[in-house]
Amino acid sequence: MKAFLPIVIVVATAALVAMAWVQSGGLALHEMRSAGTPEEAVEALMTDIQSRNWDRAYARLANSNDFEKQLFVRDLGGSSGSLRTYSSLQSFRVWPVHATADDATMRVRLNWSSAVGPLDDMRDLHVKKEGNVWKVVWPKPQLPKVPPQVIPVNYLRWDVIGRGATDDWGVQNVDNPNVRITSMNAVERPDRVVIVGEVVNEDTVPAYVNVNATLLNSDSKAMDQEGSFDMISHTLLPKQVSPYRIDFPGFHLKQVKSVRMDVKAMLVPASADPVIAVTDQKMDKDPLGKNVLRGALVNQSGQTVNIAQVLAVYYDANGKVIWVSDGYVDQALLPQVAVPFAVDVPDDVVSKIQNYHVLVNHYSINESS
Amino acid sequence: MLRLVSFCLLLLMPGLAAYAELHPPAQVTAGKGFSISSTGSGDATFYLLAPGHVAKREVKLGQDIAVDPADVKKAGRYLAVACGSGGCNSAAFYVTAAEPDKVSFLLHPSRVRVRTNDAISATALVFDKFHNLVLTPVTVDFKVVPKTGPTISRQVKSNRGVAWMRMASTPKEGPVKVIAEVAKASEARVIQQVASDACNLRIKAKRTAKGVLVETDPVRDCSGNAVPDGTIVSFAEIDADGKTTVDAPIKKGIARTELPVNGSAKISVASGVVIGNEISLGGGL
Amino acid sequence: MSTIVALSRRWVLLVGLGLLAAIAFPIFLNVLRADSLPQVQLNADSIEPRPIEELTGTNVTRDYANAWRDLAQALDKNQADHLDAYFTGFAKNNFTQKISDQKTTGVHVRYVDHGHKVKAFFYSPDGGEMQLLDKAQLEIQVYDGGKLIYQEDAAQDYLVLMTPGADRWFVRSLEPIAGSSF
Repeated sequence: MKAFLPIVIVVATAALVAMAWVQSGGLALHEMRSAGTPEEAVEALMTDIQSRNWDRAYARLANSNDFEKQLFVRDLGGSSGSLRTYSSLQSFRVWPVHATADDATMRVRLNWSSAVGPLDDMRDLHVKKEGNVWKVVWPKPQLPKVPPQVIPVNYLRWDVIGRGATDDWGVQNVDNPNVRITSMNAVERPDRVVIVGEVVNEDTVPAYVNVNATLLNSDSKAMDQEGSFDMISHTLLPKQVSPYRIDFPGFHLKQVKSVRMDVKAMLVPASADPVIAVTDQKMDKDPLGKNVLRGALVNQSGQTVNIAQVLAVYYDANGKVIWVSDGYVDQALLPQVAVPFAVDVPDDVVSKIQNYHVLVNHYSINESS
Repeated sequence: MLRLVSFCLLLLMPGLAAYAELHPPAQVTAGKGFSISSTGSGDATFYLLAPGHVAKREVKLGQDIAVDPADVKKAGRYLAVACGSGGCNSAAFYVTAAEPDKVSFLLHPSRVRVRTNDAISATALVFDKFHNLVLTPVTVDFKVVPKTGPTISRQVKSNRGVAWMRMASTPKEGPVKVIAEVAKASEARVIQQVASDACNLRIKAKRTAKGVLVETDPVRDCSGNAVPDGTIVSFAEIDADGKTTVDAPIKKGIARTELPVNGSAKISVASGVVIGNEISLGGGL
Repeated sequence: MSTIVALSRRWVLLVGLGLLAAIAFPIFLNVLRADSLPQVQLNADSIEPRPIEELTGTNVTRDYANAWRDLAQALDKNQADHLDAYFTGFAKNNFTQKISDQKTTGVHVRYVDHGHKVKAFFYSPDGGEMQLLDKAQLEIQVYDGGKLIYQEDAAQDYLVLMTPGADRWFVRSLEPIAGSSF
């Protein structure tokens, strides 16, 4: 009788702990960690990457002797202040491409959560069986090295001095830049109306530009007003052209009688560098069969561009803007190093595309303007 | 009897004071002191209500009430009120602006393209030293001093204190000084005349070890003015590997970039909405 | 006894309601007065050199009316911060100085605004300045403390200079002038 109570307490505690373990997915986790199948091996690795447990993730690799852990961490965790360094792995999906008794190729789609929204990454991973356990053969990270050199940067800068508070009211202020919307096209999508077009800085000074649109119904009453948000290159240098895209979720073209466009521009300090070349642009398909515009970005200046956003504008045979798409590059653009990019293109737009133009928005931590 | 008369006079005195009148001058100039004559007798409180000022003090009716120059700086309608034991009496008068002494000069825009009609607008407001608008017509002399070339002068008569003019921008880029002069007052402003869109945009290409070096001829507008440095020129090249584009700024009058080339290629150039020539590589330049 | 209590209660209620009315009525009057904009009719038929856009005309009319409402409140209550919203430059400086002098002397001026007929005659080519002639119908009352020292029903002409700001037009100069012909 004396021992009965302690025994009951111990058993009950053990049972509760076990329930909690199962509840928190401990069972699933254990199965994943045992890596009895190629899928389990990749999932276990992704789970460790998701929790940023680099030591355990590195230990799961079949070829960890081929490269240092730091390279592996930089490959997945990002470096040089890139967008990846501010992102976390939100979710992943794994499915087999090819499998034998000892060897398999697994495709994994990683969904990263970043400050600018979700970023997708697709990788094909080779998995091989070592004894009873499957291990992932991680592709050796090829992180670019920039050789020591001097790159002359004789860029042009603009600084703005406005009128002071004590100036007489007649003293002219510096005028805002002259910008103009050169095209506007309203496009129907399954769940929204999208306004696409281009805007040009016609002035000789840099402009910070914002484009807004208001949908008007048949009574000329405003139904909704939206802005271009980040679907535009906000800082336009003289004579620079930027596409813009404004989404109106939940609306249909038949509701819209007209669209009122509004472009606002203000003077900002700016720099003409970095110059970023967009090379090898071509329409292609990604591993999932989706249409993409692919290419590579080459930073021709000497300063690292930490975050780059690609804006692509597509034209039909008449030169009309028919779509604008964008994508963030999660790697930093090191000087003179090509970094690949790919932006989605809707299937129904691809057949109408006659030409396209790509613009790069950039952000550098050390930029003084 | 004498007592009766004295008593009646005593009764009448306040009434006499109540009928005090104020007689200001017909016209007063801002900043110039003057006197307001008054009738009646006794003490009174004197109020001077101006557009930008209020003064109050004790005065003796029947004497001239001196008004200090500092109390009449602002032009406009004034009220002089005197309140004695019998009540208040008032008179209104106008103060006009003094001699022209200042000019507020507004010149727009701060940047303008060359050779544009009526592009520049100049507005001058004439004030006296107390910041009153001078409503009598005065002649404002607008002087335009371009970077090169003779000074142009135009005289405009002000209407209710405002004189304005419009003018075209000159053919040459550079700063243009515009001066508005009235009497001894003078205000200068500077407008920057800038080149128009690029004209005859042309490129040439030279093969290099890495690809092809493409550069423009000196980029000028149709009047021969150099398009400012920093203006973006877009280069595009299409070859077997796909399309390559570079947005390069003009530096020292020329935009240049190096493009990778695989086999034969077509290279084109544009700046803003202006398109330049196209070069085909592969069959030789 | 119960009758006395009932009567007392009634008296207390009446006195209370009376007090409430006495407090609320002036506030109610002030609110009415504060919210009511003076009537302004704008005629821009002979404006030059720049034609006036319809929206600009509407905005100028509205902002000029707001300016007069604020000016009346500022001069009556001797509160210069009422001028912040629609006055700038020389006009704001002048009226601020006037309010400061009014406070020192114990004077305040009450305008009862009976409307303005405004003619816009100059609009600069760049749209930065507009000049107007205003024929205002005003009842002007001048008080020293609580004593009315002057009262007048005046038809007063004003020469007005307005300049645009970020979201409204400001009165930069408001000068009473001798009667002019429109």
